[in-house]
Amino acid sequence: MGMERRIIRTTWRYDGCLEPLYEVEDKEDEILVTFDLPRVRKENVEINTTENTVEVIAKMTDAVCWERWGGIQKRLTFQAFRKQIRLPEPIDPEKASASFKNGVLRINLPKVRSKVFIPIE
Amino acid sequence: MEEVVRIAEEEGVVHKNPIVIEGLPDVGLVGTIAASYIVEKANYKEIGYIESDLFPPVMVVHEGKLKNPVRIYGNEGVVIVLSEVAIPPGAVYPLTRALADWFKEIGAELVIPITGLPVGNRIDISKPGVFAVGNSEEAVKELEGKQMELLEEGFIAGPYAIMLRECGKRKMNAISLLAQCFPVYPDPGAAASVIESLEKFLKLGIDVNELLERGEEIKLKARDLMRQTALSAPEMQKGVEQDMPIMYR
Repeated sequence: MGMERRIIRTTWRYDGCLEPLYEVEDKEDEILVTFDLPRVRKENVEINTTENTVEVIAKMTDAVCWERWGGIQKRLTFQAFRKQIRLPEPIDPEKASASFKNGVLRINLPKVRSKVFIPIE
Repeated sequence: MEEVVRIAEEEGVVHKNPIVIEGLPDVGLVGTIAASYIVEKANYKEIGYIESDLFPPVMVVHEGKLKNPVRIYGNEGVVIVLSEVAIPPGAVYPLTRALADWFKEIGAELVIPITGLPVGNRIDISKPGVFAVGNSEEAVKELEGKQMELLEEGFIAGPYAIMLRECGKRKMNAISLLAQCFPVYPDPGAAASVIESLEKFLKLGIDVNELLERGEEIKLKARDLMRQTALSAPEMQKGVEQDMPIMYR
């Protein structure tokens, strides 16, 4: 991570995207990822997964406009949330599922790991 | 010796046994959101600020005016403490002791730290419930008299937990109100529940409908403070609140 990135660590980007708050939880057989997505409707959420990553792009119903703050001092408008997360373990993208309720997106990502029964001698 | 935490009051502020509301950043930012909304709706004046070398070297600018991020609002009968920055875990004890000393000095009638109680199924709860903890028999009796649901077993962690203790040591009644909340997402719904419960202790007459209507906007603005606060949660031992005490009955 470069010096600039460490000092200018923003949760917004000049391309009109905000970084959402999210939580990753290891639930034994699956990884549960939730995202807080205010001002977003279910039909405007796009989820892309690979074995090692999950990406969420969510368009807001109304753009957010903030002005006169920080070093920007100009109008900035945000229309969407966007975030890619690297997962702690490989998952099976084909078996992933998601739900959306009260502005919170919940993605269940089953792990690839296969179980082996070990008999006790 | 220089004080570790300094509480600076505006000149001419009069206190008449105020009820104190403490809304410091914690899980779901419940206290911060609720305290800010109360200040806005009741139109409380800024009556002081708190500074400490243990706080991050940060000031905040609002409408071109330089302000301390940890501030005190209120009037003769109400004092509200809130912060726009996360309180570093190392500052919790000195801050809480300094505040409790000050609350004693101004003759506070009751201290009410308001915060959240993180629950895993918050997404399925439409109206968060509120639990209460009192720091004395008298405080618990008051809670029972007001039909508040008591938190009967479990650990509590964070600034509010220490505030209950420090007030107890100074023979002041304190009651913490905890609304079920998202652990790491700002939770205006939980803040609304806490404000409704506060009505049982002081009649502010604050309508929470606007808070609920503006919930999404508040969530957007509170993202950065939530992130800062969540970073200090492990050091604040917030995880212990989900643990079972060994002496559980």
